[in-house]
Amino acid sequence: MGSRRAFIAGAAGAAALLPIHGTSTAAAAAAPADGTAAAPGAFGYTYLGPQEATFVEALVNVMCPADALTPNGTDCGLAIYIDRQLAGDFGKGGRLYQHGPWHPGKPQHGYQLPLKPAEFFSAGIVAARAVAQARFGKSFEQLAPADADAFLADIAAGKATESRVSLADWFSQLVYPLFQQACFADPVYGGNRDKVFWKLVGYPGLPAFHAQNMVQFRGKPFPGAQTPKSIVDFS
Amino acid sequence: MNRKLKSRQVVFVGGGLMAALAARQLVKDGVDVLVLERGRDHDAGPEHRLPSQRDELRWGVRNQLAQDWSIETYTLRHARTETALPVRTLEAFLPGDGVGGAGNHWNGQCFRWAEYDPQLRTRLVDRYGAAKLPREMPIQDWGVTYHELEPYHETFEKLFGVAGKAGNLRGQIQEGGNPFEAPRREEYPQPPIEITEAGVIVTEGARKLGYKPFPMAASNSPHVYVNPDGMRLGACQYCGHCERFICESNAKGSPEVLLYPVLKRSKNFEIRPYSHVLRLDYDRAAKRVTGVRYLDLETGDEIEQPADVVVLSAFTFTNTKLLLLGRIGEPYDAATRRGVVGRNFCHQTNSSINVFYKDRWINPFMASGSSQTIVDEFNGDNFDHSGLGFVGGAYIFNNTTNGRPISTRPLPPGTPQWGTKWKQASADWYTHAFSLGTIGSCYPHVENYLSLDPTYRDAYGVPLLRITFDWRDNETKMSEYVTKKAVELATATGATIVGPAVPRKAPYDARVYQTTHVVGGTPMGADPHTSVVSPHLQHWDVENLFVVGGSVYGHNAGYNPTGLMAAIGLRLGDDLSRYAKRPQRL
Ligand SMILES: Cc1cc2nc3c(=O)[nH]c(=O)nc-3n(C[C@H](O)[C@H](O)[C@H](O)COP(=O)(O)OP(=O)(O)OC[C@H]3O[C@@H](n4cnc5c(N)ncnc54)[C@H](O)[C@@H]3O)c2cc1C
Repeated sequence: MGSRRAFIAGAAGAAALLPIHGTSTAAAAAAPADGTAAAPGAFGYTYLGPQEATFVEALVNVMCPADALTPNGTDCGLAIYIDRQLAGDFGKGGRLYQHGPWHPGKPQHGYQLPLKPAEFFSAGIVAARAVAQARFGKSFEQLAPADADAFLADIAAGKATESRVSLADWFSQLVYPLFQQACFADPVYGGNRDKVFWKLVGYPGLPAFHAQNMVQFRGKPFPGAQTPKSIVDFS
Repeated sequence: MNRKLKSRQVVFVGGGLMAALAARQLVKDGVDVLVLERGRDHDAGPEHRLPSQRDELRWGVRNQLAQDWSIETYTLRHARTETALPVRTLEAFLPGDGVGGAGNHWNGQCFRWAEYDPQLRTRLVDRYGAAKLPREMPIQDWGVTYHELEPYHETFEKLFGVAGKAGNLRGQIQEGGNPFEAPRREEYPQPPIEITEAGVIVTEGARKLGYKPFPMAASNSPHVYVNPDGMRLGACQYCGHCERFICESNAKGSPEVLLYPVLKRSKNFEIRPYSHVLRLDYDRAAKRVTGVRYLDLETGDEIEQPADVVVLSAFTFTNTKLLLLGRIGEPYDAATRRGVVGRNFCHQTNSSINVFYKDRWINPFMASGSSQTIVDEFNGDNFDHSGLGFVGGAYIFNNTTNGRPISTRPLPPGTPQWGTKWKQASADWYTHAFSLGTIGSCYPHVENYLSLDPTYRDAYGVPLLRITFDWRDNETKMSEYVTKKAVELATATGATIVGPAVPRKAPYDARVYQTTHVVGGTPMGADPHTSVVSPHLQHWDVENLFVVGGSVYGHNAGYNPTGLMAAIGLRLGDDLSRYAKRPQRL
């Protein structure tokens, strides 16, 4: 365990020096305080390169800052979740129709690029970094939290543009859905570490046998919502 | 390698709900049945077992039980002057795949339609005059009546243990049920399932406004139930993993729990999974289909399967596509408004409003697929449309089937999309909010239709089906009207916050799930100029070819389609049984 953590700290080490990080990746990799195991294999990146990982960690820390509600995004496993999705079937466009000819289409047609989702994600990082550099003279990861937040809002609103990659599409089609999934999907996928988001909102998770609860707790707080269980707890 | 197999009596293309229901009638009568299904058997897979069944990401977001778009998708354009593009990842509707079809991962919301629905044209013309229906709206009668179908409704409801409260018993309106319901001869086989707190709230609000709310009829079993075939349903666990999921408690009426296990025990029944049907063999001179061609996905062989009778039961799109590919029947031409195959394609016109209650505990995660409460006053022709610029309507309901938190987490208007305030709002409202929805009719329009795409092909080299569809004036006006009624209801419930009301508007959006109630393309009817199949679902030109499923609908109502479809499917079984004994025009 010790040597793996040391390795990860080295690999993504640069991230730990940057201002918008609450805690470093190495700290995130430590076992959660209550002893529940994080999802197996939820350490290190399998798709993202070091610079991409640094970007994604900064991104999820802006979207999910450490506050009274949750640890920062990286510590919640959000970057790991995104990495795993990009590395897997989703990133490869496993269920995506991928034959040409290719045309931009209307927004209502949805995704129309020949790039696989993981490639589009990486291309968006390059573009977002370039725009940030041009605008602030620094890379996205080095922005102060408030600037990074405003910059993301501009991207989402289509106000930060780059000539080749539509950053607004990149954000709405990939970044935002992945972010929400990272927070709320079962921790078995590497995000929502320690069920932190389920605890936050009061989603009890598994096994969800509510036949009695449905009557007993109709219109009342459900005690099980305090102590959610995930697939990991039943595996 | 190509192989030719020995001929079979009745071959079904597509092994979902319709095939199972029709086959049930046939197999009892000793007819030889073969079902070809492109997908796998879902029995005992991860989709059916804990803990993997309770995986929102896998089944609810990545839709791994639905059609795989990398193999086959549809192209979409909003008008026939545009070039259609393939929808590369389709969300608007989710056709099923595998034994049982979408009938496994449906919600179980089980309606009979209004008594007038199969005679909708006659009804509207009688009530409002012919001028009420624009020339662009080819509403047509279906050539069958509710009363012919009623016994089959009864059979289906008993088979699936449907739970509800009758609103109309032999013409007598019943307290607590739907006063607009078509007359029933008997109560539902089971009492209603539990309603949610959201349903309590809707009931309170609806009563204030003088409406008659009632519990949704559910194919989710409130208790252990044994059906007339001796098959058992477990009791619903209100687990919130119903729509898009297979029930791990076997409590949802579905073909793979109730129908296929019985069929598989019979010597004269066979189902072949992993058999993707590519086309029909059509003898144009004899006006007969001689069989079907399919790709055996386990071997890569292309198989010729001869048949005495072929039934298309592969859902709206494949049904229409196989007729177009086989050049069987005249394709619909929107320019001349002639032809039939592909016409009257309709989706469903829905809207929703998020409502928030500071002091009420909604507990959205405790729900069945149908634990909902309904207001039917503004549906179909349940209200007077004189002076209104549209026909049709919608039911209004609390759309509370789950609290799966990736997708079901209503946030008040003005909440930022991320950051501390977003987290705080999620924490504050997750269990204090729900979505008030409308599920509305979609009537046919001459410019909404299905045809073959000239450019794009599926993974097996077959042209994709092309959808030409948009929301037309009638539907957007209807949606505006009923959505306003929903806002009034939301206000009457005393909601702390009533979110923005967004009636359905053009353009049609393939990125947003609406329902998988997509109908038309091969409408049934008494007039061969406007229908593909007869009232007995027999192809007008090809006597030994039948079509079943939503594709035979001439319009879509503001009701979920499967209850009616099931009655039609069971009746087809009886008709086929007659036909198998004595082939003739029925
Ligand atoms: C998420 C969801 C929720 C739903 N909820 C409700 C509800 O609450 N109430 C309601 O009334 N309806 C609901 N429905 C609709 C309901 O599931 C369908 O109306 C019903 O299943 C249709 O029956 P079918 O037999 O026509 O199609 P299906 O049950 O889908 O069966 C069609 C079968 O054909 C197969 N097939 C297709 N093409 C080929 C081919 N080329 N070769 C071989 N096989 C092929 C498919 O794999 C599939 O198994 C829902 C649907 C979905 C997807």
